[in-house]
Amino acid sequence: MIRRIGTLGVLSLVLPLASGGCGDEAGGSGEVQSATAVALLTSGPVSDAGWHAGAYEGLQRIGDSLGLRVSHQQTRTPADFDEAFLSYAEAGYGLIFGHGFEYQDAAERAAKQYPDATFVVSSGARYSDNVVPLIFHLNEAAYLAGIAAGSITRAEVLGMVGGVEIPPVRGTFLAFRAGVEVVRPGATVLETFTGSWDDVSAAKEAAAAQLRRGADVLIHNVDAASFGVFQAVREARAAGRGAWAFGMNRDQNDVAPDVIVGSAVIDVPAVFLQVARQWRSGTLAGPLHSGLESGTVDFVPNPLLPGIVPAAAEARIASARQEIADGRLQVPEIRYLEDEEAGDGGSSGGRGRAQPSG
Amino acid sequence: MAETAVMASFLTAAVGLAVPLALAALGETVSERAGVINIGIEGSVICGALGGALGSLAAGPYVGLAGGATAGCAAALVFAVFAVHLNTDQIITGAAVALGSLGFTGAVFQSRFGATGVALELETVPAWEVPLLSHIPIAGPALFHGAATVYLVYLLVPALWWFLFRTRWGLALRAVGEAPEAAQAAGLPVKATRTLAVLFGGLLGGLAGAHLSLVHTGTFSENMSAGKGFVAIAIVVLGRWDPRGVLAAALFFGCAEALQFALQAMDVDLPYPLLLALPYVLSLAALAGWFGRSRAPAALALPWPKRPG
Repeated sequence: MIRRIGTLGVLSLVLPLASGGCGDEAGGSGEVQSATAVALLTSGPVSDAGWHAGAYEGLQRIGDSLGLRVSHQQTRTPADFDEAFLSYAEAGYGLIFGHGFEYQDAAERAAKQYPDATFVVSSGARYSDNVVPLIFHLNEAAYLAGIAAGSITRAEVLGMVGGVEIPPVRGTFLAFRAGVEVVRPGATVLETFTGSWDDVSAAKEAAAAQLRRGADVLIHNVDAASFGVFQAVREARAAGRGAWAFGMNRDQNDVAPDVIVGSAVIDVPAVFLQVARQWRSGTLAGPLHSGLESGTVDFVPNPLLPGIVPAAAEARIASARQEIADGRLQVPEIRYLEDEEAGDGGSSGGRGRAQPSG
Repeated sequence: MAETAVMASFLTAAVGLAVPLALAALGETVSERAGVINIGIEGSVICGALGGALGSLAAGPYVGLAGGATAGCAAALVFAVFAVHLNTDQIITGAAVALGSLGFTGAVFQSRFGATGVALELETVPAWEVPLLSHIPIAGPALFHGAATVYLVYLLVPALWWFLFRTRWGLALRAVGEAPEAAQAAGLPVKATRTLAVLFGGLLGGLAGAHLSLVHTGTFSENMSAGKGFVAIAIVVLGRWDPRGVLAAALFFGCAEALQFALQAMDVDLPYPLLLALPYVLSLAALAGWFGRSRAPAALALPWPKRPG
């Protein structure tokens, strides 16, 4: 909203800084060829070493591997979503990622105005000819993390710290809880939402409250605020308690290698690259599913902390991974993709897994 | 026994969450008493958090605190140049400084530590234990076993109250905030006074940010101020522009936040947004005058000198 009052000198001086400016190559140089330019919108800083960072790495990989022109912009308010989509489409960007289900409505509006551009919405709910949702079955990896977590808890109390209670987050927490119950049926799994993806001190305090409540294994689904969760676990360990953390969304094992046992990971760079390849060859049609089956979602143990998860649990994780990939084991999930038959471009085979294949 | 331990850790959490709010709000109180509403204090907080982190990495946590204060001051200086000296709209200028600071700190962080970020592990400011007092049951550890920033709040509240309401300098500052024309006629340097008040506010906002990175979390991330500067502005209203009230309001916000984490960790099934919203509802009530008379400084947010027309 504030951006609209652009005539004031003070704003035009400072606001270019406010758009999060990192590696933005969109600036000014006019029209670009639509088949060669890819843009990414994130609603938070890409320096979160997590959800947004993965998308940024995906964009870079598209640029490096396919030689396409790439641009990233951080949007701060929902009012910015439309503006950013439209300005990229207007500037000739042919493939525009909105990394988060919050972009759904704005993507659909922009898609109607720019039918030649393709809009990809991570965790999107609906699709059409040029709106493609990416469905990450991260709950499958969270389930495996739950088995690992359940196998290492001594207190039989575990904790989950979330930002805002949106369906993709609820899905990962539901599956984590189910994974814990496989190995520790009576365990307590606490759940706290802080209302913010970035508020490190709130996440740290939420984690500390769970640790005080007796939890000794924590997982999160926040963005940059995850640093606060890891710090709370570090402090608990420094105070002589046995406590561990799990990473989420991206391989965070190296973010806090001393406390993270493993991460539930989406290989966003691989998915983005596949999307860009399909888009270039004209075969991109949504929705695109990523799960254990395609190898683009997985639970990745921290190689620097070997032996924390007992061998029996590792075997259990391996067999569960196989069963899920084969479709023999259904992991609890929160469905956020609306009925696929209802989409007007639903050519990709109903509920079946239309895997992106490079 | 278990109950006292729970209470003690709850209070520790509440104080930890209240201190940055109190610091920023005390700074904002001084600024607003001089007639300048600086919502750019949010920018001072995030700059302070990054300045603190960089200072601590370079030369330890106390240099970090100084770095945070300096960075907070620098953000306030930008605001003062525009809003006080060039007489731009205070609200819009403050919003620009807040947004600009968020972008600027992000750019600095990413250029130093890589675009996709790292979880810094910063050396934190050590806690000092006050002999005897820290052994008071329940409240002792929360109030008397903290970092320097905690004790700074204890010192600032009486000192600022005394300064604002019991000294000639304080009277002059309030005069500038109530009736700048009259103050100028009486020979007071209005712009200089306002500039100093804004810079002092930025200094405390920067310390609030340094507290976030160097005391509370031991790390930095983009946007970690997470609106605490804006909350501080609400606290100033709730505290009725009086350092004592501001401290009470900050503690109340800290307790409310700690309470909602404690309740969620205890599996109490309350909708968390309700608890998150409670302090803001009370701030609105305070603005509406439900807790007795509360009046903002008369010249708050008004351009000075008055713009023609």
